[in-house]
Amino acid sequence: MENYQKTKITELPCPHPIANLPKDIIEMKVKEGSKIRNLMGYAIGKMESASTTEILFTGTGKAVSKAITCVEIMKRRLKGLHQITKLFYKQVEELWEPIVSEAGLDSLTVKRNLPAICILLSKDTLHANEPGYQAPGSFDALWIHSLKEEALTQRKKRRGGDGLGKGGKHPGSGRGERPKKSRS
Amino acid sequence: MAENQPLAPASEGALDMDQVEYTLRKRLPRKLPKRKNDIYVNMKTDFKAQLARCQKMLDSGCFSEICIHGLGLAINRAINIALQLQGGSFGALQIAANTSTVELVDDLELDEGEPLTRTRNNSAIHIKVFHTLPK
Repeated sequence: MENYQKTKITELPCPHPIANLPKDIIEMKVKEGSKIRNLMGYAIGKMESASTTEILFTGTGKAVSKAITCVEIMKRRLKGLHQITKLFYKQVEELWEPIVSEAGLDSLTVKRNLPAICILLSKDTLHANEPGYQAPGSFDALWIHSLKEEALTQRKKRRGGDGLGKGGKHPGSGRGERPKKSRS
Repeated sequence: MAENQPLAPASEGALDMDQVEYTLRKRLPRKLPKRKNDIYVNMKTDFKAQLARCQKMLDSGCFSEICIHGLGLAINRAINIALQLQGGSFGALQIAANTSTVELVDDLELDEGEPLTRTRNNSAIHIKVFHTLPK
């Protein structure tokens, strides 16, 4: 592959995973080389004015974590934003051409599936039943419910075994952890 | 642990940077409570191994859902694992993703022992993979 260089990248069009978006929605396309300062300057300026209520952040490949960072910064600046996160694969065609045009080296078209993310931030309430929905200020909604259930069942078990077992909680030891501490 | 290059003075009087080497030690991020069906993805373990582990947990049938967590660079890997699980399930699995910010603390130590702490924020993703309820 040392003889080749990437000349063109075409993204095959694919419909947005989030349906029913207004046509004039602001879409922030986060690229690998985008500067977060520039992105946030524009996005926050638009959201702080009352005219825009929704904004969309999309990113593919290496830009996914940058898109998530932009969204997190936005949520920190503007409280009370509802979020829907969607993950999907984006098809990309890369055109590799030989650097030195030797006979016998053809241009290659490489088809790749890149992981992509699409995050919608909105001031209005969104569908809470939609997979990927996150209420403002929450990030543990996915597991906090089952965690509380587990804690309840643990407490019931402990109370039931009080007469037989050691009784009382061991301070400093969590569920399943040995209470032995190594010598520091 | 990694050592920094000696920091060069930015400009006279602007920033007082020490010409000393700091030993950078990253504190482990505060781990979220780990149930049996929580999987934390990292960049050190082989991708195929992490994928196979997730697949085994889903196939075993003990859990109706698993939660995949990724921090920083591992976000991409977590997304890849989740999408591959969904792709290989022929539409039986659904994905829901939540994002959050995790605070990381760095301990900077000098030889003389004047520890400095620096906090930075990092993005994290939590992906829940679950069987769609048959209607």
